[in-house]
Amino acid sequence: MCLGLFSGSVDKLTAAGVILSGAAAMDMQVEIYVLLQGARAFKKEIGDNADKLAMAENPALKEEFMQSLKNLNVKTWVEFFREAKAITDVKIHICGLAGKIWGGEKLEDFIDLADDICGIGAYLSSAEEADINLFI
Amino acid sequence: MTPEELKNQSVAKTVDARGTACPGPLLEAKKAIGTIRSGEVMEVLSADEGTKVDIPKWCTKQGHEYLGTVDESGYFRIFLKKG
Repeated sequence: MCLGLFSGSVDKLTAAGVILSGAAAMDMQVEIYVLLQGARAFKKEIGDNADKLAMAENPALKEEFMQSLKNLNVKTWVEFFREAKAITDVKIHICGLAGKIWGGEKLEDFIDLADDICGIGAYLSSAEEADINLFI
Repeated sequence: MTPEELKNQSVAKTVDARGTACPGPLLEAKKAIGTIRSGEVMEVLSADEGTKVDIPKWCTKQGHEYLGTVDESGYFRIFLKKG
């Protein structure tokens, strides 16, 4: 599976995390390419702090959304990603341009989920080979 | 299998995932399946309606045999045999 992760909002990242968990349960090999807004969420100074992330849809309902996730015992998006990486082969690539936009030049500028910094050619090569392509 | 047959068989592992919402039960099943041997039966307890559909599809994909689901009050007992 190849996922283009453009979004850096907590609701869409959570959706990506749920999908990633399903992929992990099915032993899928997953390549994630983190683009533009997504790269910000992977910065170390953002960490796993939802207060620093926006909602893509219904921004006025963010508090209700976050509280419901908590009540339902749903993991944070970072926890979903981390767990999936522990179970199956998940590689997370940060787009070099996206990193620079948010002041991240090196791999060390991002949380330890990130495996490398790459270019758009790597994304398209993966997309061409994958049986499932998603863009969030 | 009838609900009675499902309930009466010997179960090698019971996974209680009633405290989690989707995708929790599926992931719990995935983690637990590695702890039992081929041919043994595992039971997944879930309060999430979606798990009833997820587990059979997951079994097909992973080569396990879905045996059936028993409805209890407020949760489901889903049985499968490891392939």
